[in-house]
Amino acid sequence: MEILAQLVVSGIALGMIYGLIAFGYQLTFATSGTLNFGQGEALMLGALVGLTLVGHMSYWLMIPLVIVFGALQGIFVERVGVLPALKTKSEFGWIMTTISLAIIFKNVAENIWGHDDITFPSPLPTAPLQFFGIRVLPMEILVVVGALAIILAVELFNRKSIYGKAVVATSSDRDAAGLMGINTGMVITFSYALSSMTAAFAGVLIAPLTLTGATMGVVLGLKAFSVAIIGGLNSGMGVIVGGLILGIAETTTGYYISTGYKDVPGLLLLLLVLSIKPAGMFGKSVIKKV
Amino acid sequence: MLQIENLHAGYGKVEVLHGISVAVPKGKVVTLIGSNGAGKTTTMRAISGMIKPVSGNISLNGKNITGMTSSRIARSGLAHSPEGRRVFATLSVTDNLLLGAFPRLTYGRERGDVQGDLERVFELFPRLRERKSQLAGTLSGGEQQMLAMGRALMLNPDVLLLDEPSMGLAPLLVSEVFRIVSELKGRGITMLLVEQFAAAALNVADYGYVLENGRISCHGPADQLKNDPAVKAAYLGAAH
Repeated sequence: MEILAQLVVSGIALGMIYGLIAFGYQLTFATSGTLNFGQGEALMLGALVGLTLVGHMSYWLMIPLVIVFGALQGIFVERVGVLPALKTKSEFGWIMTTISLAIIFKNVAENIWGHDDITFPSPLPTAPLQFFGIRVLPMEILVVVGALAIILAVELFNRKSIYGKAVVATSSDRDAAGLMGINTGMVITFSYALSSMTAAFAGVLIAPLTLTGATMGVVLGLKAFSVAIIGGLNSGMGVIVGGLILGIAETTTGYYISTGYKDVPGLLLLLLVLSIKPAGMFGKSVIKKV
Repeated sequence: MLQIENLHAGYGKVEVLHGISVAVPKGKVVTLIGSNGAGKTTTMRAISGMIKPVSGNISLNGKNITGMTSSRIARSGLAHSPEGRRVFATLSVTDNLLLGAFPRLTYGRERGDVQGDLERVFELFPRLRERKSQLAGTLSGGEQQMLAMGRALMLNPDVLLLDEPSMGLAPLLVSEVFRIVSELKGRGITMLLVEQFAAAALNVADYGYVLENGRISCHGPADQLKNDPAVKAAYLGAAH
Protein backbone atom coordinates (compact mmCIF):
# COMPACT_ATOMS: atom_id res chain seq x y z
CA MET A 1 0.00 0.00 0.00
CA GLU A 2 2.78 2.36 0.93
CA ILE A 3 4.50 1.63 -2.32
CA LEU A 4 1.34 2.35 -4.28
CA ALA A 5 0.88 5.65 -2.45
CA GLN A 6 4.50 6.50 -3.22
CA LEU A 7 3.97 5.73 -6.90
CA VAL A 8 0.83 7.85 -7.01
CA VAL A 9 2.64 10.79 -5.46
CA SER A 10 5.48 10.54 -7.97
CA GLY A 11 2.95 10.20 -10.77
CA ILE A 12 1.19 13.38 -9.71
CA ALA A 13 4.21 15.63 -10.33
CA LEU A 14 4.79 14.09 -13.74
CA GLY A 15 1.08 14.28 -14.54
CA MET A 16 0.90 17.96 -13.67
CA ILE A 17 3.61 18.66 -16.23
CA TYR A 18 1.69 16.73 -18.89
CA GLY A 19 -1.40 18.65 -17.86
CA LEU A 20 0.37 21.99 -18.12
CA ILE A 21 1.70 21.30 -21.62
CA ALA A 22 -1.71 19.97 -22.67
CA PHE A 23 -3.25 23.15 -21.32
CA GLY A 24 -1.00 25.00 -23.75
CA TYR A 25 -2.40 22.94 -26.63
CA GLN A 26 -5.90 23.89 -25.56
CA LEU A 27 -5.13 27.61 -25.49
CA THR A 28 -4.30 27.89 -29.18
CA PHE A 29 -6.85 25.32 -30.27
CA ALA A 30 -9.61 27.34 -28.61
CA THR A 31 -8.85 30.59 -30.42
CA SER A 32 -7.68 29.41 -33.83
CA GLY A 33 -8.43 25.70 -34.19
CA THR A 34 -4.70 25.13 -34.56
CA LEU A 35 -2.12 23.47 -32.34
CA ASN A 36 1.55 24.13 -31.87
CA PHE A 37 3.11 20.72 -32.39
CA GLY A 38 6.31 22.28 -31.12
CA GLN A 39 4.96 22.57 -27.57
CA GLY A 40 7.57 20.06 -26.40
CA GLU A 41 10.31 22.13 -28.03
CA ALA A 42 8.94 25.29 -26.42
CA LEU A 43 9.32 23.48 -23.11
CA MET A 44 12.85 22.36 -24.01
CA LEU A 45 13.94 25.87 -25.04
CA GLY A 46 12.45 27.27 -21.84
CA ALA A 47 14.39 24.76 -19.78
CA LEU A 48 17.69 25.34 -21.62
CA VAL A 49 17.40 29.13 -21.58
CA GLY A 50 16.59 28.80 -17.89
CA LEU A 51 19.67 26.63 -17.42
CA THR A 52 21.90 29.27 -19.00
CA LEU A 53 20.28 32.02 -16.95
CA VAL A 54 20.64 30.24 -13.57
CA GLY A 55 24.38 30.48 -14.11
CA HIS A 56 24.01 34.21 -13.59
CA MET A 57 21.07 34.60 -11.23
CA SER A 58 18.79 32.79 -8.81
CA TYR A 59 16.18 30.29 -9.98
CA TRP A 60 13.34 32.55 -8.86
CA LEU A 61 14.64 35.56 -10.74
CA MET A 62 15.11 33.40 -13.83
CA ILE A 63 11.45 32.29 -13.98
CA PRO A 64 9.95 35.63 -15.09
CA LEU A 65 12.66 35.96 -17.77
CA VAL A 66 11.96 32.46 -19.09
CA ILE A 67 8.25 33.29 -19.14
CA VAL A 68 8.96 36.37 -21.26
CA PHE A 69 11.21 34.30 -23.52
CA GLY A 70 8.48 31.67 -23.90
CA ALA A 71 5.91 34.30 -24.85
CA LEU A 72 8.23 35.75 -27.51
CA GLN A 73 8.99 32.28 -28.85
CA GLY A 74 5.24 31.63 -29.13
CA ILE A 75 4.70 34.88 -31.01
CA PHE A 76 7.51 33.88 -33.38
CA VAL A 77 5.89 30.49 -34.07
CA GLU A 78 2.51 32.08 -34.71
CA ARG A 79 3.84 34.82 -37.00
CA VAL A 80 6.19 32.62 -38.99
CA GLY A 81 4.40 29.30 -39.01
CA VAL A 82 0.72 29.62 -38.29
CA LEU A 83 -0.38 33.03 -39.53
CA PRO A 84 0.64 32.44 -43.17
CA ALA A 85 -1.26 29.13 -43.14
CA LEU A 86 -4.35 30.74 -41.63
CA LYS A 87 -4.17 33.62 -44.12
CA THR A 88 -4.10 31.37 -47.13
CA LYS A 89 -6.86 29.29 -45.49
CA SER A 90 -4.59 26.27 -45.77
CA GLU A 91 -6.40 23.71 -43.70
CA PHE A 92 -3.44 21.64 -42.60
CA GLY A 93 -0.46 23.86 -43.42
CA TRP A 94 0.00 24.77 -39.78
CA ILE A 95 0.61 21.13 -38.89
CA MET A 96 3.68 20.95 -41.11
CA THR A 97 4.95 24.42 -40.21
CA THR A 98 4.75 23.89 -36.47
CA ILE A 99 6.42 20.49 -36.78
CA SER A 100 9.15 21.97 -39.02
CA LEU A 101 9.77 24.80 -36.59
CA ALA A 102 9.98 22.25 -33.79
CA ILE A 103 12.70 20.35 -35.65
CA ILE A 104 14.57 23.59 -36.32
CA PHE A 105 14.38 24.56 -32.65
CA LYS A 106 15.72 21.15 -31.66
CA ASN A 107 18.65 21.47 -34.06
CA VAL A 108 19.44 24.98 -32.90
CA ALA A 109 19.36 23.79 -29.31
CA GLU A 110 21.69 20.89 -30.11
CA ASN A 111 24.15 23.33 -31.63
CA ILE A 112 24.03 25.76 -28.74
CA TRP A 113 23.78 23.43 -25.74
CA GLY A 114 25.22 20.24 -27.21
CA HIS A 115 23.86 16.72 -27.54
CA ASP A 116 24.32 15.62 -23.96
CA ASP A 117 21.76 15.88 -21.23
CA ILE A 118 22.76 18.30 -18.50
CA THR A 119 21.63 18.35 -14.87
CA PHE A 120 19.67 21.37 -13.84
CA PRO A 121 20.63 22.66 -10.38
CA SER A 122 17.71 22.28 -8.01
CA PRO A 123 16.59 25.49 -6.31
CA LEU A 124 15.11 23.51 -3.42
CA PRO A 125 16.72 20.94 -1.11
CA THR A 126 17.04 17.60 -2.88
CA ALA A 127 16.43 15.57 0.25
CA PRO A 128 12.91 14.14 0.21
CA LEU A 129 10.38 15.08 2.86
CA GLN A 130 8.53 12.31 4.68
CA PHE A 131 4.74 12.31 4.97
CA PHE A 132 3.33 9.15 6.62
CA GLY A 133 6.19 7.20 5.19
CA ILE A 134 5.79 8.59 1.71
CA ARG A 135 8.75 10.49 0.35
CA VAL A 136 8.08 13.68 -1.53
CA LEU A 137 10.71 15.84 -3.15
CA PRO A 138 10.27 19.55 -2.40
CA MET A 139 10.64 20.13 -6.14
CA GLU A 140 7.64 17.88 -6.80
CA ILE A 141 5.52 20.08 -4.56
CA LEU A 142 6.75 23.14 -6.45
CA VAL A 143 5.76 21.51 -9.76
CA VAL A 144 2.21 20.88 -8.57
CA VAL A 145 1.80 24.32 -7.00
CA GLY A 146 3.38 26.13 -9.95
CA ALA A 147 1.32 24.29 -12.57
CA LEU A 148 -1.95 24.84 -10.73
CA ALA A 149 -1.10 28.49 -10.13
CA ILE A 150 -0.53 29.29 -13.79
CA ILE A 151 -3.63 27.39 -14.95
CA LEU A 152 -5.77 29.17 -12.36
CA ALA A 153 -4.29 32.53 -13.33
CA VAL A 154 -5.21 31.99 -16.99
CA GLU A 155 -8.71 30.75 -16.13
CA LEU A 156 -9.28 33.72 -13.84
CA PHE A 157 -8.14 36.09 -16.57
CA ASN A 158 -10.53 34.49 -19.06
CA ARG A 159 -13.49 34.62 -16.74
CA LYS A 160 -13.06 37.98 -15.08
CA SER A 161 -11.35 40.45 -17.39
CA ILE A 162 -12.92 41.91 -20.51
CA TYR A 163 -9.81 40.89 -22.48
CA GLY A 164 -10.20 37.32 -21.28
CA LYS A 165 -13.84 37.37 -22.33
CA ALA A 166 -12.67 38.59 -25.73
CA VAL A 167 -10.48 35.47 -25.91
CA VAL A 168 -13.45 33.24 -25.06
CA ALA A 169 -15.61 35.10 -27.59
CA THR A 170 -12.98 34.53 -30.27
CA SER A 171 -13.02 30.80 -29.52
CA SER A 172 -16.80 30.75 -29.61
CA ASP A 173 -17.34 32.62 -32.90
CA ARG A 174 -14.41 34.36 -34.54
CA ASP A 175 -16.41 36.39 -37.07
CA ALA A 176 -18.88 37.60 -34.47
CA ALA A 177 -15.99 38.50 -32.17
CA GLY A 178 -14.61 40.68 -34.94
CA LEU A 179 -17.94 42.48 -35.12
CA MET A 180 -17.55 43.34 -31.42
CA GLY A 181 -14.40 45.29 -32.27
CA ILE A 182 -12.14 42.50 -31.03
CA ASN A 183 -8.92 42.18 -33.01
CA THR A 184 -9.14 38.41 -33.37
CA GLY A 185 -5.76 38.11 -35.11
CA MET A 186 -4.19 39.65 -32.03
CA VAL A 187 -6.12 37.27 -29.78
CA ILE A 188 -4.68 34.30 -31.69
CA THR A 189 -1.13 35.66 -31.45
CA PHE A 190 -1.72 36.23 -27.75
CA SER A 191 -2.92 32.65 -27.29
CA TYR A 192 0.29 31.36 -28.90
CA ALA A 193 2.34 33.57 -26.60
CA LEU A 194 0.44 32.24 -23.60
CA SER A 195 0.71 28.67 -24.81
CA SER A 196 4.49 28.72 -25.29
CA MET A 197 4.84 30.64 -22.07
CA THR A 198 3.17 27.85 -20.09
CA ALA A 199 5.37 25.31 -21.88
CA ALA A 200 8.56 27.24 -21.08
CA PHE A 201 7.40 27.53 -17.48
CA ALA A 202 6.71 23.79 -17.40
CA GLY A 203 10.26 23.32 -18.70
CA VAL A 204 11.94 25.09 -15.80
CA LEU A 205 9.60 23.36 -13.35
CA ILE A 206 10.42 19.86 -14.56
CA ALA A 207 14.10 20.43 -15.40
CA PRO A 208 15.44 20.04 -11.85
CA LEU A 209 13.63 16.67 -11.59
CA THR A 210 14.83 15.29 -14.89
CA LEU A 211 17.75 16.08 -17.12
CA THR A 212 17.87 19.01 -19.50
CA GLY A 213 18.74 18.58 -23.16
CA ALA A 214 17.71 19.29 -26.71
CA THR A 215 15.64 16.12 -26.99
CA MET A 216 13.78 16.39 -23.68
CA GLY A 217 10.72 17.94 -25.29
CA VAL A 218 9.93 15.34 -27.92
CA VAL A 219 8.37 12.68 -25.70
CA LEU A 220 6.85 15.18 -23.27
CA GLY A 221 5.16 17.07 -26.09
CA LEU A 222 3.75 13.89 -27.58
CA LYS A 223 2.45 12.55 -24.28
CA ALA A 224 0.91 15.89 -23.43
CA PHE A 225 -0.82 15.77 -26.78
CA SER A 226 -2.46 12.49 -25.87
CA VAL A 227 -3.40 14.02 -22.51
CA ALA A 228 -5.06 16.89 -24.36
CA ILE A 229 -7.02 14.36 -26.41
CA ILE A 230 -7.90 12.25 -23.36
CA GLY A 231 -8.94 15.24 -21.29
CA GLY A 232 -10.64 17.03 -24.16
CA LEU A 233 -9.19 19.82 -26.26
CA ASN A 234 -11.87 22.23 -25.08
CA SER A 235 -12.33 21.18 -21.49
CA GLY A 236 -10.21 23.51 -19.35
CA MET A 237 -9.64 21.47 -16.23
CA GLY A 238 -9.95 18.12 -18.01
CA VAL A 239 -6.26 18.26 -18.93
CA ILE A 240 -5.24 18.23 -15.28
CA VAL A 241 -7.22 15.06 -14.65
CA GLY A 242 -5.99 13.58 -17.93
CA GLY A 243 -2.41 14.46 -17.01
CA LEU A 244 -2.72 12.92 -13.56
CA ILE A 245 -4.24 9.72 -14.96
CA LEU A 246 -1.39 9.36 -17.44
CA GLY A 247 1.30 10.27 -14.91
CA ILE A 248 0.05 7.81 -12.30
CA ALA A 249 -0.55 5.08 -14.89
CA GLU A 250 3.08 5.45 -15.96
CA THR A 251 4.67 5.24 -12.54
CA THR A 252 2.49 2.32 -11.41
CA THR A 253 2.95 0.34 -14.62
CA GLY A 254 6.66 1.04 -14.49
CA TYR A 255 6.84 -0.49 -11.03
CA TYR A 256 4.33 -3.35 -11.15
CA ILE A 257 4.81 -4.54 -14.70
CA SER A 258 7.94 -3.20 -16.32
CA THR A 259 9.36 0.19 -17.10
CA GLY A 260 9.43 -0.98 -20.72
CA TYR A 261 5.65 -0.99 -20.70
CA LYS A 262 5.12 2.26 -18.81
CA ASP A 263 3.79 4.14 -21.85
CA VAL A 264 1.26 1.47 -22.76
CA PRO A 265 -1.65 2.25 -20.38
CA GLY A 266 -1.71 5.87 -21.43
CA LEU A 267 -1.80 4.96 -25.09
CA LEU A 268 -4.47 2.32 -24.49
CA LEU A 269 -6.51 4.95 -22.69
CA LEU A 270 -6.02 7.25 -25.66
CA LEU A 271 -7.35 4.60 -28.05
CA LEU A 272 -10.25 3.91 -25.71
CA VAL A 273 -11.22 7.58 -25.39
CA LEU A 274 -10.95 8.13 -29.13
CA SER A 275 -13.27 5.23 -29.87
CA ILE A 276 -15.82 5.88 -27.10
CA LYS A 277 -15.87 9.64 -26.53
CA PRO A 278 -13.84 11.44 -29.20
CA ALA A 279 -14.45 14.87 -27.65
CA GLY A 280 -12.36 13.69 -24.68
CA MET A 281 -13.38 12.46 -21.24
CA PHE A 282 -14.33 15.95 -20.19
CA GLY A 283 -14.87 17.48 -23.61
CA LYS A 284 -18.05 19.45 -23.79
CA SER A 285 -20.34 19.48 -26.73
CA VAL A 286 -21.87 22.93 -26.59
CA ILE A 287 -25.62 22.99 -26.21
CA LYS A 288 -26.94 25.06 -29.06
CA LYS A 289 -30.61 25.77 -29.52
CA VAL A 290 -31.75 26.91 -32.90
CA MET B 1 -24.03 59.06 -41.90
CA LEU B 2 -23.46 55.79 -43.80
CA GLN B 3 -22.72 56.09 -47.52
CA ILE B 4 -22.25 53.15 -49.85
CA GLU B 5 -21.21 53.93 -53.39
CA ASN B 6 -20.93 51.51 -56.30
CA LEU B 7 -20.17 48.56 -54.04
CA HIS B 8 -18.98 45.34 -55.67
CA ALA B 9 -18.53 42.35 -53.37
CA GLY B 10 -18.84 38.60 -53.28
CA TYR B 11 -17.25 35.37 -52.13
CA GLY B 12 -14.05 34.22 -53.80
CA LYS B 13 -14.51 34.61 -57.53
CA VAL B 14 -18.29 34.82 -57.35
CA GLU B 15 -19.47 38.40 -57.40
CA VAL B 16 -22.80 38.86 -55.64
CA LEU B 17 -23.14 42.64 -55.58
CA HIS B 18 -22.70 44.40 -58.90
CA GLY B 19 -22.32 48.01 -57.89
CA ILE B 20 -24.91 49.11 -55.38
CA SER B 21 -25.28 52.52 -53.78
CA VAL B 22 -27.18 53.08 -50.56
CA ALA B 23 -27.36 56.08 -48.25
CA VAL B 24 -28.40 55.91 -44.61
CA PRO B 25 -28.90 59.45 -43.26
CA LYS B 26 -28.47 60.25 -39.56
CA GLY B 27 -31.46 59.37 -37.41
CA LYS B 28 -33.24 57.54 -40.20
CA VAL B 29 -34.23 53.94 -40.67
CA VAL B 30 -33.44 52.58 -44.11
CA THR B 31 -34.53 49.14 -45.18
CA LEU B 32 -33.13 46.83 -47.80
CA ILE B 33 -35.67 44.39 -49.17
CA GLY B 34 -35.37 41.68 -51.77
CA SER B 35 -35.83 37.99 -52.30
CA ASN B 36 -33.54 35.23 -51.08
CA GLY B 37 -30.14 35.40 -52.71
CA ALA B 38 -30.55 38.99 -53.87
CA GLY B 39 -27.46 40.00 -51.87
CA LYS B 40 -28.96 41.62 -48.76
CA THR B 41 -26.79 39.79 -46.26
CA THR B 42 -23.74 40.17 -48.51
CA THR B 43 -24.31 43.93 -48.47
CA MET B 44 -24.41 43.92 -44.68
CA ARG B 45 -21.28 41.78 -44.47
CA ALA B 46 -19.38 44.02 -46.86
CA ILE B 47 -20.35 47.11 -44.87
CA SER B 48 -19.22 45.72 -41.52
CA GLY B 49 -16.01 44.24 -42.90
CA MET B 50 -16.92 40.56 -42.53
CA ILE B 51 -16.02 40.26 -46.20
CA LYS B 52 -13.70 42.53 -48.17
CA PRO B 53 -15.42 44.55 -50.89
CA VAL B 54 -13.93 44.12 -54.37
CA SER B 55 -14.43 47.76 -55.23
CA GLY B 56 -16.56 50.72 -54.33
CA ASN B 57 -16.62 53.08 -51.44
CA ILE B 58 -18.12 52.86 -47.97
CA SER B 59 -17.93 55.78 -45.59
CA LEU B 60 -19.14 56.21 -42.05
CA ASN B 61 -19.44 59.74 -40.67
CA GLY B 62 -17.45 60.94 -43.66
CA LYS B 63 -14.61 58.56 -42.81
CA ASN B 64 -13.65 55.99 -45.42
CA ILE B 65 -14.03 52.50 -43.93
CA THR B 66 -13.78 50.48 -47.17
CA GLY B 67 -11.66 47.37 -46.74
CA MET B 68 -11.03 47.87 -43.04
CA THR B 69 -11.18 44.85 -40.73
CA SER B 70 -14.49 44.27 -38.97
CA SER B 71 -12.93 45.09 -35.61
CA ARG B 72 -11.75 48.52 -36.80
CA ILE B 73 -15.12 49.25 -38.34
CA ALA B 74 -16.86 48.34 -35.08
CA ARG B 75 -14.51 50.67 -33.23
CA SER B 76 -15.45 53.41 -35.71
CA GLY B 77 -19.02 53.13 -34.44
CA LEU B 78 -20.82 50.64 -36.63
CA ALA B 79 -22.67 47.78 -34.92
CA HIS B 80 -23.84 44.76 -36.87
CA SER B 81 -26.39 42.32 -35.50
CA PRO B 82 -25.64 39.50 -37.95
CA GLU B 83 -27.88 37.04 -39.68
CA GLY B 84 -28.25 33.92 -37.57
CA ARG B 85 -27.71 35.93 -34.34
CA ARG B 86 -24.19 34.59 -33.73
CA VAL B 87 -24.30 35.01 -29.96
CA PHE B 88 -21.36 33.65 -27.95
CA ALA B 89 -22.85 30.34 -26.85
CA THR B 90 -20.32 29.60 -24.12
CA LEU B 91 -20.62 32.98 -22.42
CA SER B 92 -23.37 34.32 -20.17
CA VAL B 93 -25.98 36.80 -21.37
CA THR B 94 -24.32 39.61 -19.40
CA ASP B 95 -20.88 38.75 -20.81
CA ASN B 96 -22.30 38.77 -24.34
CA LEU B 97 -23.72 42.23 -23.73
CA LEU B 98 -20.48 43.52 -22.19
CA LEU B 99 -18.55 42.28 -25.22
CA GLY B 100 -20.84 44.41 -27.35
CA ALA B 101 -19.30 47.33 -25.49
CA PHE B 102 -15.75 46.00 -25.96
CA PRO B 103 -14.43 49.10 -27.80
CA ARG B 104 -15.91 51.28 -25.06
CA LEU B 105 -14.35 49.19 -22.30
CA THR B 106 -10.95 49.08 -23.98
CA TYR B 107 -10.13 51.65 -26.63
CA GLY B 108 -11.48 53.25 -29.77
CA ARG B 109 -14.74 54.51 -28.41
CA GLU B 110 -15.85 56.84 -25.67
CA ARG B 111 -16.61 54.81 -22.57
CA GLY B 112 -19.72 56.64 -21.37
CA ASP B 113 -22.01 54.85 -18.97
CA VAL B 114 -21.64 51.16 -19.81
CA GLN B 115 -23.45 49.96 -16.69
CA GLY B 116 -26.29 52.37 -17.38
CA ASP B 117 -26.57 51.15 -20.96
CA LEU B 118 -26.63 47.56 -19.70
CA GLU B 119 -29.58 48.54 -17.52
CA ARG B 120 -31.30 50.16 -20.49
CA VAL B 121 -30.84 47.03 -22.61
CA PHE B 122 -32.35 44.98 -19.78
CA GLU B 123 -35.29 47.41 -19.68
CA LEU B 124 -35.77 47.02 -23.42
CA PHE B 125 -35.50 43.23 -23.21
CA PRO B 126 -36.79 42.13 -19.79
CA ARG B 127 -36.31 38.48 -20.73
CA LEU B 128 -32.57 39.04 -20.94
CA ARG B 129 -32.49 40.35 -17.37
CA GLU B 130 -34.27 37.21 -16.19
CA ARG B 131 -31.63 35.12 -17.89
CA LYS B 132 -28.59 37.30 -17.41
CA SER B 133 -26.38 34.60 -15.87
CA GLN B 134 -27.51 31.87 -18.25
CA LEU B 135 -25.22 30.74 -21.06
CA ALA B 136 -26.30 32.31 -24.34
CA GLY B 137 -26.28 28.92 -26.08
CA THR B 138 -29.15 27.75 -23.89
CA LEU B 139 -31.48 30.62 -24.84
CA SER B 140 -34.40 30.14 -27.21
CA GLY B 141 -34.20 31.53 -30.73
CA GLY B 142 -36.24 34.61 -29.86
CA GLU B 143 -34.14 35.30 -26.78
CA GLN B 144 -30.96 34.90 -28.79
CA GLN B 145 -32.27 37.47 -31.26
CA MET B 146 -32.96 39.89 -28.40
CA LEU B 147 -29.44 39.24 -27.17
CA ALA B 148 -27.90 39.85 -30.59
CA MET B 149 -29.75 43.16 -30.86
CA GLY B 150 -28.94 44.16 -27.29
CA ARG B 151 -25.29 43.28 -27.83
CA ALA B 152 -25.14 45.50 -30.92
CA LEU B 153 -26.79 48.35 -29.00
CA MET B 154 -24.12 48.11 -26.30
CA LEU B 155 -21.62 49.67 -28.70
CA ASN B 156 -23.68 52.84 -28.52
CA PRO B 157 -23.37 52.78 -32.30
CA ASP B 158 -23.58 55.62 -34.79
CA VAL B 159 -25.18 53.19 -37.23
CA LEU B 160 -26.86 49.90 -36.39
CA LEU B 161 -27.14 47.14 -38.99
CA LEU B 162 -29.92 44.64 -38.32
CA ASP B 163 -29.80 41.59 -40.55
CA GLU B 164 -33.02 39.56 -40.61
CA PRO B 165 -33.94 40.12 -36.97
CA SER B 166 -37.22 38.25 -37.46
CA MET B 167 -35.75 35.19 -39.15
CA GLY B 168 -37.06 31.89 -37.83
CA LEU B 169 -39.18 33.46 -35.11
CA ALA B 170 -42.79 32.72 -34.18
CA PRO B 171 -45.30 35.33 -35.46
CA LEU B 172 -45.78 36.81 -32.00
CA LEU B 173 -42.03 37.33 -31.65
CA VAL B 174 -41.79 38.81 -35.13
CA SER B 175 -44.14 41.62 -34.16
CA GLU B 176 -42.19 42.03 -30.91
CA VAL B 177 -39.00 42.50 -32.95
CA PHE B 178 -40.65 45.16 -35.11
CA ARG B 179 -42.03 46.88 -32.00
CA ILE B 180 -38.47 47.11 -30.69
CA VAL B 181 -37.15 48.41 -34.01
CA SER B 182 -39.69 51.26 -33.93
CA GLU B 183 -38.84 51.90 -30.28
CA LEU B 184 -35.18 52.25 -31.29
CA LYS B 185 -36.18 54.50 -34.15
CA GLY B 186 -38.00 56.68 -31.63
CA ARG B 187 -34.72 57.01 -29.74
CA GLY B 188 -33.11 58.41 -32.88
CA ILE B 189 -30.88 55.43 -33.67
CA THR B 190 -29.70 55.32 -37.28
CA MET B 191 -30.46 51.91 -38.73
CA LEU B 192 -30.06 49.84 -41.84
CA LEU B 193 -32.58 47.01 -41.68
CA VAL B 194 -32.60 43.91 -43.85
CA GLU B 195 -35.85 41.99 -43.78
CA GLN B 196 -37.84 39.35 -45.55
CA PHE B 197 -41.06 40.74 -44.12
CA ALA B 198 -40.96 43.59 -46.60
CA ALA B 199 -44.30 45.13 -45.64
CA ALA B 200 -43.46 45.33 -41.95
CA ALA B 201 -40.00 46.67 -42.78
CA LEU B 202 -41.43 49.39 -45.01
CA ASN B 203 -43.90 50.31 -42.26
CA VAL B 204 -41.13 51.09 -39.78
CA ALA B 205 -38.57 52.51 -42.25
CA ASP B 206 -38.23 56.02 -43.64
CA TYR B 207 -36.66 54.96 -46.88
CA GLY B 208 -36.31 51.72 -48.78
CA TYR B 209 -34.12 50.05 -51.38
CA VAL B 210 -35.14 47.02 -53.41
CA LEU B 211 -32.28 44.67 -54.18
CA GLU B 212 -32.59 42.34 -57.14
CA ASN B 213 -29.79 40.00 -58.25
CA GLY B 214 -27.11 42.19 -56.73
CA ARG B 215 -28.42 45.47 -58.12
CA ILE B 216 -30.71 48.13 -56.72
CA SER B 217 -33.81 47.90 -58.89
CA CYS B 218 -35.65 50.79 -57.27
CA HIS B 219 -35.60 52.96 -54.19
CA GLY B 220 -37.63 55.70 -52.64
CA PRO B 221 -39.40 56.84 -49.48
CA ALA B 222 -40.96 53.87 -47.69
CA ASP B 223 -44.53 55.12 -48.15
CA GLN B 224 -43.99 55.44 -51.86
CA LEU B 225 -42.46 51.97 -52.20
CA LYS B 226 -45.34 50.44 -50.27
CA ASN B 227 -47.74 51.68 -52.92
CA ASP B 228 -45.56 50.94 -55.91
CA PRO B 229 -47.42 48.32 -57.98
CA ALA B 230 -44.25 46.48 -59.02
CA VAL B 231 -42.90 46.29 -55.45
CA LYS B 232 -46.33 45.26 -54.21
CA ALA B 233 -46.57 42.44 -56.68
CA ALA B 234 -43.06 41.14 -56.15
CA TYR B 235 -42.45 41.59 -52.42
CA LEU B 236 -45.54 42.57 -50.51
CA GLY B 237 -47.77 39.80 -51.80
CA ALA B 238 -51.49 39.34 -51.43
CA ALA B 239 -51.25 38.45 -47.73
CA HIS B 240 -50.29 42.00 -46.80
